[in-house]
Amino acid sequence: MLQEFKQEKVGIIPCNGEDLCEGTLTRFACRKVLDTLRPHETVTICLPLFIAGDAGERNFAKTFPTITVDGCAKRCSQVTTEKLSGKPRYAVVVSELLKERGMEAPSSKRTLTRKDQAAIDLVAEDIAGKVDEILRKG
Amino acid sequence: MKKKIVVIPCSGIGKSFGEMGRQAVYEVIEDLRPGDVTTTCLARLMIDDPEAKALIEDNRVITVDGCAKDCARKNVEFTGKSVDRALRVIEVFKENRDLKPLGILNLGEDGFKLVHILAQKLNEEIAGLMRKES
Amino acid sequence: MGEDFMEVTYDKFIFRVKIGYFYHPEECWAIQEGDLVKVGVTDFLQRVVGDPVFLKLPETGDEITRDGYAGTLETIKTTIDLFCPVNGRIAEVHSELMDNPQPINSDPYGEGWLFKVAPSDWEGDKINLMDAQTYFPKMEAKIKEEMAKK
Repeated sequence: MLQEFKQEKVGIIPCNGEDLCEGTLTRFACRKVLDTLRPHETVTICLPLFIAGDAGERNFAKTFPTITVDGCAKRCSQVTTEKLSGKPRYAVVVSELLKERGMEAPSSKRTLTRKDQAAIDLVAEDIAGKVDEILRKG
Repeated sequence: MKKKIVVIPCSGIGKSFGEMGRQAVYEVIEDLRPGDVTTTCLARLMIDDPEAKALIEDNRVITVDGCAKDCARKNVEFTGKSVDRALRVIEVFKENRDLKPLGILNLGEDGFKLVHILAQKLNEEIAGLMRKES
Repeated sequence: MGEDFMEVTYDKFIFRVKIGYFYHPEECWAIQEGDLVKVGVTDFLQRVVGDPVFLKLPETGDEITRDGYAGTLETIKTTIDLFCPVNGRIAEVHSELMDNPQPINSDPYGEGWLFKVAPSDWEGDKINLMDAQTYFPKMEAKIKEEMAKK
């Protein structure tokens, strides 16, 4: 017997790319959304679990709206989510967003500086705004 | 061209293990074995990125998974490549139960002590693989 | 899985309650197997506490009481006491779990079983436990509480 409760939640799917500084930024920005900006409205989806996990991640992304957050133009999170689950409502590409807003990418993959915090905040606010749009429109 | 060892962490964002794995990989690549070791984004393998696939096909691979879900190992194997070593961060935590990371991304002092221990373990595994090759 | 479980999905998590098992408020379950009663922890509990790293279980031969302490489960998030849902004597311990407690997460109602008890009064103890249908809404209430805590 299965019951399903539709929750007003948006799945955030970062790429977490290890090989790029922007990948580190995706992680921090997404966690800020999940933990501080929209903790009750969002849930994190681990991208590698789309292949490695049970159906939980893929099913969520089929049923609920998602926002993919990619570090670079390879768009790994967006491409994988579309291929294995469903089209995300929004696809954020951090490198492009920073360029649009005239901000520099972080210089280290390993640690983020105070200057990078501004970039984290920018990306996090952008994602939070998209979460709000999705939940307003339904 | 000299072969490298490719170390791939799991990209986990739901638990502190993921960040510990990543930081340990960075410590090995940047501090302990610059030149011998490299990494690539696990997500690139998921989109069949030709460069990422060629890198793992041509070199030895060590995966560093946060937990028993083994996302890094499974995603590498999904491409058809067998991993040479598969490490789990949780095993290091079991051996050092008094060290508790502060948060998921902000690991704190204890979390970074675990990172150093894991980096050393990874370094030993790499040394083992390199001995085999020579 | 279908008929064996009652399930509810919250976000990306599916919470399962095995039909035919009996449930204690401290999130353990009991099921009769021949002369013994097998005990484990619920899917809800393993989901909340996270990846187990250390497990301490009672020893074979120990007398054990209903609602009494029956071991410790340590995860990266927390350390919790385990409770026994029946009175009796420990007949068998799933000792392999102490080296590898991961089945508590992956199969809490199956391979994640903790120990078996030779019960002193299973029929009497069972009356004080919940069947799946009674436990299920209580689990849902706890899930909502956990979600609201975030």
